[in-house]
Amino acid sequence: MNREEIHEPGEPRDASFINAKAERERPEYCAAEAPSPLPQVEPSDPAAALEPQTQAGHEEEKPVALPHVDDPKTAEIEGQQAGPDEMPLLSVVGESESVGSTPSIAAEPAPAPKAKSFFQERPPETIEVAPHVLRHWTRRDVLLFGVGAIATLAGGGSLLPQATLERLGIIHGNKTWPGKEWFLDRTLRIDDDVAEALYSQNRLVPTYTKSQITPLKNNYNGATPDPGYIPEWHLTLDGLASGLSVSLNIRNLLTRFQVHEQITRLVCVEGWSAIAWWSGLRFDELLHAYPPMSQAKWVRVESSVNLDASGNPDPYFVSLDLPTARHPQTLLATHFNGQPLTVDHGAPLRLLVPVKLGLKNVKAITRITYMEKEPKDYWAERGYSRYDGI
Amino acid sequence: MLSEKQLTATSTLPENRGVLVARKHHLLVRWSHWLNVPILLGLILSGMAIYWASPVYQHNPDPQTGNFDYMADVGNWICAHVPGLHHYSSPPDWIYNHMSLGPGMLGVALRLHWFCAYLFMLNGLVYVAGLALGGGWRSLLPRRTDVGDAMKMLRYYMGRPFAWLTRRTWLHPRFTTKYNALQRAAYFSIPLAGFLSIATGWAIHKPMQLSWLAAIFGGYSKARIWHFWLMWIFILFVVPHVVLVFADGWDTLRSMIVGWSARTERSDGGEK
Repeated sequence: MNREEIHEPGEPRDASFINAKAERERPEYCAAEAPSPLPQVEPSDPAAALEPQTQAGHEEEKPVALPHVDDPKTAEIEGQQAGPDEMPLLSVVGESESVGSTPSIAAEPAPAPKAKSFFQERPPETIEVAPHVLRHWTRRDVLLFGVGAIATLAGGGSLLPQATLERLGIIHGNKTWPGKEWFLDRTLRIDDDVAEALYSQNRLVPTYTKSQITPLKNNYNGATPDPGYIPEWHLTLDGLASGLSVSLNIRNLLTRFQVHEQITRLVCVEGWSAIAWWSGLRFDELLHAYPPMSQAKWVRVESSVNLDASGNPDPYFVSLDLPTARHPQTLLATHFNGQPLTVDHGAPLRLLVPVKLGLKNVKAITRITYMEKEPKDYWAERGYSRYDGI
Repeated sequence: MLSEKQLTATSTLPENRGVLVARKHHLLVRWSHWLNVPILLGLILSGMAIYWASPVYQHNPDPQTGNFDYMADVGNWICAHVPGLHHYSSPPDWIYNHMSLGPGMLGVALRLHWFCAYLFMLNGLVYVAGLALGGGWRSLLPRRTDVGDAMKMLRYYMGRPFAWLTRRTWLHPRFTTKYNALQRAAYFSIPLAGFLSIATGWAIHKPMQLSWLAAIFGGYSKARIWHFWLMWIFILFVVPHVVLVFADGWDTLRSMIVGWSARTERSDGGEK
């Protein structure tokens, strides 16, 4: 119950205070909630008799300064009953005996009065701290905050795209750190893993009625291919259990497989979506008719007729995991709105995989290859996700 | 830093004696509060760059420019009317150049958005843990008297600048809780908005596997609208939040860094 409690050990002021005798300076106040508040005193010391009153003082909400005692020498036991807001005086004889031997309780909360309800707001806990300790805390916390803010600014800023930083005038020329791409790609992988964990082959996507159908524009990323490829079109299957390469034309496919219809939503990575009516054969039935090699885990779906924005050949290819290919709503679509596919929508056969982003829904498929290792993906090579499960 | 004079002024104790301070914010609440700054900034910058790829709000294409994006219209308007911007190189991109990573950056924006979104969810858990450990959640719960008290606070804020100009006294409404009713409404709503942002975000991100979640918000397309406007709730919150915390003073700002406040009286303001 003296200054010692509220001083950090080793502070110069502590030493000066310890030297100060009780004649000069009384212990000023109690930190009200000392678990064992009495200074260590001789067992025979009459001050020990103060204990009950000191305990009573702990019930007070706010510790306040102890009143001064004019003559400490005379204070045998002077536990004066203070006013309702004041601590009872704890007067310690033995002068410096008690100094420096009390427990350090600089930051003990004052006990709050009992709340009426579990949900009721409690009054704030107040603590009593020496000004220089408070200054020390403030300095420490504000400095730590500043260091953290600068580190976050540097770390977060370095994750921004090159083009953004250049536009802000922060960097000039190609300055990127090697870990940046790895780090951000790692985030994509984690998100892909989450998407894969969410996927269930038994969970069907929502289907809609014909009145809910919305327009679907031609979304060829670049130029729409010349329809001249359609008469000669055939689908090649590779990586089969038979070890053979199989070639099928559209008539083979439509006569051999049952046609299923579904009205589902196609969701683009850009954010737009369209509800459309598709018909076609199930990918799963093709997998049963032409089983892939036993170690296959992936499908590479390719369109060799795709063009880039300038109209030059730009084969399009995506990776598709076999569980997704086996999903009952994954179609090799031949019809759109009840009509055979037009060149805009990938005549004569396109992949329709509603559990994936639109960019996996390859138009005008020319080759399907079953693979053991994950195949390359057109958009993953351009910084997008690989799995694209939605 | 607070001078000794200021500290002791809040307490009845003379200088060099103890100072009473009130515990205000749990360490985890403070951490998550400040981490929200870079995370939300990253989410908004990348989010608007994603918005650019397919704006939620579109009109019929302009016959001359082919533009269909209201955000591009806003950019055009700003560049036409704000002095000094008349020669801006690409007016339709003005919003995206100033409120996002930039136009044409969908791939990088998505990556950054996922990164910040996962951090935002983790940070939300830290915040909830801090509220639970420190008991601070009780101060955020709405009260029956809140509507009337909020009106009093609104009246106070509305009249404050006028009273300052006319040098009249304009008393702050008295309250004995940690926050006033307006603050409480804001601090209760913003975690809720954070939760809804995360929920609508998942509804957009996984509309097939989590189709039930998208259905709660009226389907995929409506979930995008929710997500977009929830961003504006954060922006609209931050502006008065920052203005008022500076108006309220150093003690309030400091308390979010150090955790305690030297204001132990409950009716001395404390708005932010």
